[in-house]
Amino acid sequence: MPSATQPAPASMYRRTEGLGIWEHKGKVAAVGIGHSPVDRRWDGKPETSVGAYAIVALRNAMKDAGITADQVDGLVMDASTTTGAEWPAGRPLPEEFVKAFKPGANHVDGISSLSTEWIIANMPELAHVKYTQYGPGCMSNCVCVAAQAVGDGKTKVCLVLKAWDNLEGRYGQGGENAEDTIAGRAAFSNPWGPTGPYLWAHMFNEYTKKYGGNHDQMANFVLNETRNGLLFPEGFWAQHRPEVLTKEDYLSSRWIVKPANLYDCDIPITVAVAYVFTTPERAKDMKQKPVYIWNTTATNPRNRGIIQTLDEGQASTDFTGRKLYEGAGIKPSDLSFENMYDGYTLFHQFFLEGLRFAGVQRGEALDFYETADLTIEGPHPVSPSGGNRGSGRTRIWMHTDCIQQIQGRAGARQITGVKPEIGVSGGPMPTSGNFLIWSATPN
Amino acid sequence: MRVVISFDIDGTLEVGDPPGPVTLEMVRRARDLGCIIGSASDRSISAQQALWQRHNIEVHFTSLKHKLADVKAAFEAEWYVHTGDRELDRQFALEAGFDFIWMDAGAKEPWIAKRNGSEPA
Repeated sequence: MPSATQPAPASMYRRTEGLGIWEHKGKVAAVGIGHSPVDRRWDGKPETSVGAYAIVALRNAMKDAGITADQVDGLVMDASTTTGAEWPAGRPLPEEFVKAFKPGANHVDGISSLSTEWIIANMPELAHVKYTQYGPGCMSNCVCVAAQAVGDGKTKVCLVLKAWDNLEGRYGQGGENAEDTIAGRAAFSNPWGPTGPYLWAHMFNEYTKKYGGNHDQMANFVLNETRNGLLFPEGFWAQHRPEVLTKEDYLSSRWIVKPANLYDCDIPITVAVAYVFTTPERAKDMKQKPVYIWNTTATNPRNRGIIQTLDEGQASTDFTGRKLYEGAGIKPSDLSFENMYDGYTLFHQFFLEGLRFAGVQRGEALDFYETADLTIEGPHPVSPSGGNRGSGRTRIWMHTDCIQQIQGRAGARQITGVKPEIGVSGGPMPTSGNFLIWSATPN
Repeated sequence: MRVVISFDIDGTLEVGDPPGPVTLEMVRRARDLGCIIGSASDRSISAQQALWQRHNIEVHFTSLKHKLADVKAAFEAEWYVHTGDRELDRQFALEAGFDFIWMDAGAKEPWIAKRNGSEPA
């Protein structure tokens, strides 16, 4: 049974330049945050399934915002949850899981996918939800769609959800990669092995050829991410393997695809995260300080080949930066910190340069990494969330961190070098994704 | 016969991620037998050392998986063996001049027979 909920229509995304200030600037706020426990893999128990964790995250978000479920009238989420491994076709669902939950639109809902139908069936308290929408791909898409929906008046109190499952099995070796034949665009790339970090290793090579520099210059950035991740109590490494990474560890790690090494990649995990988005008026009655959204943008350029080139990656991130600033009515120097995506670390500098964050121009990011203070105590905090590298593969840490930093709730990770007033986050890719600007004030 | 045994961690040892079939008791037994033991993993050296310390096992070496050749250079032995769960373990072991044993076979402790001077069954 297909889900009745649809992916957000194109009209909900701001894709081009020249749109001016976002019509809902400062009229949408994030208030509550809810995280589930985080596990390395699913152990097969109903209570640790991605569905159960999604419910935990949603309830935690409502509790954090100080609202009851009957106040919620919207739900924006992503139906996909897999980090790489798929539930094998024909394999029966665990009996205990089937007993514990009502079914959704997809028979593997709650295990390796989610539908709005599954969530609502298993959370009867969400009886007043009238608006549902999918933001496909990752939390970056969901938060942008939810912001637009609240701004457009489709929902007043909206839950935003993204969950990830990590089933038994090797990362990225299921799905189409395990088939005898591959269809579509991947037919021109996957048979030759360029999956995972290949593209970004290639683009990083092109980058260092053009501007000079080398992989060793990534060390401070990666160490800073690891440190910030260990200060993120909701994250995988902080909870399960609080291992400090040294520069020597980073530089001596083995290559996955040279020049991408093991620590340039992230670790797949199981987790769910939810937020409460609402109007500033409703936010006044909620428990946490509202964090206002000043703009959203979507970047999805058409590439000329089967993989993106350096020129395309740079054009794309420049485009994203220009649109973000235009819609928010700000300039690069207005950003207190940046939390753009990092999974793989080797592409973060394309975002940094595209934003001109801390005045960093094209070709300058590696020198910036090497010589500047990137920490939360410094004048230009870079990836204070620690990103995927710091806490595991979710594509959400950057958003949670933006909200927590501006609310002053980031704990040991709280930015102290500057007053965290305006932040930016988004992803997943430099070449395509969804991005937004967060602020402590509505205007 | 002097024997060097390198244990991969994740997917090989019972305390790995995911857990593997080689128990810490087997590791201790190998050490008690006089084998030179240690780990060669993708985990950082400090993380490997912390793991062994946590389980109160004194190892002779900790190495990155792709640097097994350094282990070979550091210890004089008649038999060098690495046990692991991935093709990469096999590749790095063979490149470094180690024999390679898949983790399930490693859980049968073939080094006991080797150490005693007989071939494993």
